[in-house]
Amino acid sequence: MVYLRSLFLIIAGFAAGINAKSSTGDSVLVIVEPKQQDNYNLFFSGLKEQGYDLTFRAPKAEAPALIEYDVPAFAHVIVLASETKVFARDITPQSLVQLLAKKTNLIVALSPKQTPLTSLAAEFSLTLPPPGTPLVSYFPAREGPANVIPVSVPAKHTILSPNLHPVWFSGVPHTIGNNPLLVPILRAPAESFASETDGGSADSLVDSAERGGEGLWAGSQQGLVTGFQTLDGSRITWVGGADVFSDEYAKKEVSKGVPSGNLQFARDVAKWTFQETNVLRIDRTTHNRVNSTESLDQYTTNDQIEYAAYISKYDSKTGNWAPCTCLKDLQLEFTMLDPHIRTALLPVAAEPGKYATTFRAPDRHGVFKFVINYKRKGMSFLESSTTVAVVPPRHDGYPRFLSAAWPYYTGAISTSVAFFLFSAVWLASEAREKKAKGHKAE
Amino acid sequence: MAPKSSSPAASNVVHSLWKAYSDQTSDRLKFIDAFLVFLMLSGVAQFLYCILITDYPFNAFLAGFSSNVGQFVLTASLRSQVNPENKNEFKEVSPERAFADFALGSIVLHFFVYNFLG
Repeated sequence: MVYLRSLFLIIAGFAAGINAKSSTGDSVLVIVEPKQQDNYNLFFSGLKEQGYDLTFRAPKAEAPALIEYDVPAFAHVIVLASETKVFARDITPQSLVQLLAKKTNLIVALSPKQTPLTSLAAEFSLTLPPPGTPLVSYFPAREGPANVIPVSVPAKHTILSPNLHPVWFSGVPHTIGNNPLLVPILRAPAESFASETDGGSADSLVDSAERGGEGLWAGSQQGLVTGFQTLDGSRITWVGGADVFSDEYAKKEVSKGVPSGNLQFARDVAKWTFQETNVLRIDRTTHNRVNSTESLDQYTTNDQIEYAAYISKYDSKTGNWAPCTCLKDLQLEFTMLDPHIRTALLPVAAEPGKYATTFRAPDRHGVFKFVINYKRKGMSFLESSTTVAVVPPRHDGYPRFLSAAWPYYTGAISTSVAFFLFSAVWLASEAREKKAKGHKAE
Repeated sequence: MAPKSSSPAASNVVHSLWKAYSDQTSDRLKFIDAFLVFLMLSGVAQFLYCILITDYPFNAFLAGFSSNVGQFVLTASLRSQVNPENKNEFKEVSPERAFADFALGSIVLHFFVYNFLG
């Protein structure tokens, strides 16, 4: 009986392992007010179905800790307590940044209220409007409050599923700074603006416009949901309002008979943030001379060099890394301080996941690097650098007896031959003269 | 009519110079001169090839050209040492000694030239 139970446990563990859908881990900590926990049941059950291990924690509860003995306790953290002003001691903006640095992924919800997290958003180049001014829009004409807005989703997006239905949103917008690590996911509708809902009048708009445009938060340049990928690869997504994930909005129809896209949108955002999608890695790189397979530490100037990189993408359906022929704009640089050669690294049709190119080493010796530096919004960054030396040919490595030099060879040889002939004739004539002199003397 | 009269005179000068050279120079010195002319022409040809067509490989040019120049210098000194008119200046150098110096110098020169040529 005991055996049977342990066998069952092993099988269950194995099944859980198969269900592991994130490339970095399955444990998720959800920080949410206990009262509101039931508002997000659909979102949470979706995560559980995908194989995540959810742990709930009230914002003021002391346990479970985010970081234990300097090691993050969870692979992912969702902060849905968007209106909470006082958190437990270990939930601070600093600790969230520390989590990111330790490769934990975060989803952080904001609200029109001023909370400790509002100031953290500014550190990610997201600027929030003044407190108490949620996003408001009177278009399209609809029933319900003006700050609950259907936002249409771009049909093609690297992170979101194609052709999503509009998403219900209520919360606060932000402007997106020029930080290149930011990944805009959802932008505000063009007719929307940030304003006090109870006022909501034209006067407040005019007021803010008179302040030199400052404080005027309007238009489609505002972001509602924005991702951020650190150079280490960890991801954080800022969501303007926690209600995007709520059951209420997931069930709410956008128009008659058209369901909202909230549930799928929330899943897509979670998938990206928890490193299920758009996760790439370089398995290995090889370099060698053309017509050779040996990897050398040093190449000679003007050598023909073959370079190949093997890239795979994480497949969250199987939980495996699969070779990926999906990149069309990969580049290889051969650099010594500056790239001496920058060339396209194209996929090889015969071998999935292999990207290869052939190039001539520059006519310049020194310490060079093969560099792949692929950074695209929404994709994990690919970086690889291999150092090799490029040396001039050895003293006997130069080409010899060139056809262009034949005049010089002929010149040298003819001089020698002429010298021998001259010497021979000279000596012969000397001997003859002596003979003649000898005859005379006799 | 100065130019017209001077032209025959100039050709006359060249002609008499050539005549004097053929009459007064010994056969041995003429033989040396022929060798010098050959070396000069060969050097000029290589220099033109280098300037007009290619100086690559440059070491081959240097070897070929310097073998001509060096051989020219050695031969010219041989000529001045065996010339009977210079007997007073080279009292202690017999023609045989001069030729031996020339031959040794040339062999050393060619040794360096072939080392540098490839």
